[in-house]
Amino acid sequence: MTGRHLCRGHFIAGIEERVAETIRSRNLIVPGDHVVIALSGGKDSTALLMILARLLPSWESVRLSAITIDEGIHGYREDTIRSADDLVAKYGLSHSTVSFTELFGGTLDAFLNGREPEACSVCGILRRKALNVAAERTGATKLATGHNLDDEAQSVFMNVLRGDLPRLVRDSGSDSQGRFIPRIKPLMFVSEKEIAVYLMLHGAWPDLPECPYAVHALRGEVRGMLATLESKHPGTMLHLMESKAKIEVQCAGRLEEEAIRPCAECGDPCSGAICQLCQLKKTLKK
Amino acid sequence: MKIFLPDKSCREADAGSVTVEALLRDLGIDPIGVIVARNGTLVTEDALVENSDEVRIIRIAHGG
Repeated sequence: MTGRHLCRGHFIAGIEERVAETIRSRNLIVPGDHVVIALSGGKDSTALLMILARLLPSWESVRLSAITIDEGIHGYREDTIRSADDLVAKYGLSHSTVSFTELFGGTLDAFLNGREPEACSVCGILRRKALNVAAERTGATKLATGHNLDDEAQSVFMNVLRGDLPRLVRDSGSDSQGRFIPRIKPLMFVSEKEIAVYLMLHGAWPDLPECPYAVHALRGEVRGMLATLESKHPGTMLHLMESKAKIEVQCAGRLEEEAIRPCAECGDPCSGAICQLCQLKKTLKK
Repeated sequence: MKIFLPDKSCREADAGSVTVEALLRDLGIDPIGVIVARNGTLVTEDALVENSDEVRIIRIAHGG
């Protein structure tokens, strides 16, 4: 990633310093914040929790806790939830879990029966709501997710492929326009591979199965393409992030913002008459 | 050389002295999606592996 060969200690310190710098330069965490970590128990959120817990003493009056969403994915989520439980117990953090069954009346597996190719979009809409509910219950002021450089570069690429300029320049931390708890992505400049190495060097690699629905995702195709490009042309993912930042500057104040109004059915903020979640709920089998 | 593949299967290979990157390419594995341990220690793609080594290839993607 950086092209440097580092020993264990310097590699770990380098990753932690990069995350600290991302937080500092973007003002992601401020004194008095209660940061709740979206902890799936997979590698990214595990590393996020470990790094934030390590940086915690350097911040003034900041509190950490964790939430986990149980979508109900048989053969996958049971293991990651166990891993999440072990991790929060080790770090002594308060932790709560919210399930799709509790919020939506069924598991993701049941909802997807016969519509598996839509898995990631269905799960994304439901999970977004579940994370907001779980985070609000904790009284948190920031919701930290484990999105890494690969995820972010893939999102930039996918939005370019879709020609979706508003989404390309939208900052997920501010897209709720103050109506939801702001989301922060402290690992956005750490690659997936660096995260894996960080965890291995700590002896904390969670050897878990891959999500069974991942094969259906457009993101999977984009991930493969970007991985090949990054391999042949190191720095491709960072260049994509830099391109996004330049486009953001050029577009600042020039794009018409979508009007946000309350959903006619649930009252949550949305851009249409009815929010995506309420539209989706009408089509879900239980 | 004893190679543990990402699917946890194991195979013996007579690859001689090669770089990790060359070994991965021979196996049809993109180096960006895996990390490699030689005799239990993580190594970079330019490290050499020998027939006497035990090589473990770990896939890093999980999904959220």
